[in-house]
Amino acid sequence: MDDKNDAAHKVSQGLMPIDPSVLKEFLREMNDTVIPEIQKAVEERRLLAAESRQWQLKC
Amino acid sequence: MYAWMQLSSSADLAQLANAIPTEYDAATVAQTLSGGISDAVKAILIESDYVDKDYRSTYYNFYAKKGQRYRNDCVRLHFFDRTVSFDADKLAPSCADRELNNHYFGYMVLRPTGVATIGRTVLSPDIRRGAGRLIITANHKVHLLGYRFEIHGFPWMNQHVDISVCAHAACWSILRHYSERYNVYREFLTHDITMMAHEFNPGGLVPSRGLQMAHAERVFQEAATFPVHIARSKDKSADPSFYRQMIAYVESRFPIFAAMSSRRHAVAIVGYEWLSALNTGAPRLRFAWDALRSLAVVDDNFLPYMSISTTADAPRSAKDYSAEDIDSLIVALPEKMFYPADAVDRLGPALFKLGAVVGLPPRDNTIIRYFITTGSALRSFVREKAGEFDPRLLTTIMTIPFAQFVWIVEFATESQWARGVVEARAVIDATASLTEAMPLWLFHGQAAALVFDRKTVGQITDGVGVLTLVPAGHTGFTRMERNLRATQAK
Repeated sequence: MDDKNDAAHKVSQGLMPIDPSVLKEFLREMNDTVIPEIQKAVEERRLLAAESRQWQLKC
Repeated sequence: MYAWMQLSSSADLAQLANAIPTEYDAATVAQTLSGGISDAVKAILIESDYVDKDYRSTYYNFYAKKGQRYRNDCVRLHFFDRTVSFDADKLAPSCADRELNNHYFGYMVLRPTGVATIGRTVLSPDIRRGAGRLIITANHKVHLLGYRFEIHGFPWMNQHVDISVCAHAACWSILRHYSERYNVYREFLTHDITMMAHEFNPGGLVPSRGLQMAHAERVFQEAATFPVHIARSKDKSADPSFYRQMIAYVESRFPIFAAMSSRRHAVAIVGYEWLSALNTGAPRLRFAWDALRSLAVVDDNFLPYMSISTTADAPRSAKDYSAEDIDSLIVALPEKMFYPADAVDRLGPALFKLGAVVGLPPRDNTIIRYFITTGSALRSFVREKAGEFDPRLLTTIMTIPFAQFVWIVEFATESQWARGVVEARAVIDATASLTEAMPLWLFHGQAAALVFDRKTVGQITDGVGVLTLVPAGHTGFTRMERNLRATQAK
């Protein structure tokens, strides 16, 4: 679907454009804070999991 | 071969020791049962000479090789309520309403191993004293004397001690649940589990020396699941996300292999119970974990479905433990779940940046709950509750090309939480990449929905549309429960 038809399809679904300032703020939050935090958390979990792999379980 | 034992009280369980040969250690079994099952169990059918595939797997590969002679058969105990009687001549149980299955509480296999004799067991949570409120169960079929019974429960057994330990038993429980619940997973016997833990046959008593977390992970990999291994930070107070993920997976009906390093112990987490009322305090953003009263565990040392507290605050005996003792877990997931719970845990609060569009409640009066489900299950839920949705939102949900699995994030006020409803719901693509800025399919409240176009890679600004909704006149959408079985104590 080209851009023009895609836009027409959205209008037919009743979809309106989002306020650009709201979207911009959300994307800034994601790119500047959330995604770096996710990447850091995933890396920390990887290291913690690597350490815990040696735990002996036998009770 | 079959003996009927009626019970007037739990003290009568001691008779088991007279009816069963000593190598099954029925005295200890009776003690275990009397401390854990309810008085609703009024009769036990003792089935001797029972061929148990799990015990036979260990018999062929271990016990038959020993100098001491072990029997190759087992005893199976079947539990019934007071309405069932047994005709010893016809070898037929019967009851007045002829619905035997409604009066059957499950079975317990006893192994002829002298110690730790309780083998494959599936009991109804309804007869377990102190069982957790909501339990992950599967339907287990039981064939007995020409009858076919069905029991909803979670598999449990004692560890063998000599050839398997707690971690083997926890792996076995989870994988047996999978093979009964999902037809894509095959059945693994006790000996299979001990072999799957290693790249080679360790032989002899090596498994009894314990299992490392890495071995448990390998067992789940060998079973064709995709295990996610999550370990907690050493400072548990600094890692609330670990516990939030734990309940997210359990709520998603994935039993968890949970390890406690301080106790060198592993259990399966199979259920939970909410607090009857939220602990009030300073206003703050809360998560489902904060509304949790207890977890239900399958621990090879105790009868199944034991409740453990979420915190270590409650007084407890030396044998007890709480969720705070758990510091590493493995969830055996299907494929195509790429977006980790760690990411959802951080994305959820960030959605408040879009809160004004969909109508989120104030952040400090919100409880966030997240879990995994399938696109089909979401559509089925929405169809069932169609009256709650603007018809255009319903149509949107029915036509979005969801990936097989989606993360759901629900936002509820404290008052809505108490009523089992939510203000808003986000649907996140479980196949999204970590670095995606908009990994969502949909985010809706009562006033509006944000619809995200994921049909074209790289759509950002142009890929979002707002659907203005006609409020359906209710005070919240029904919370999407994942149908864990509610225990009805008997």
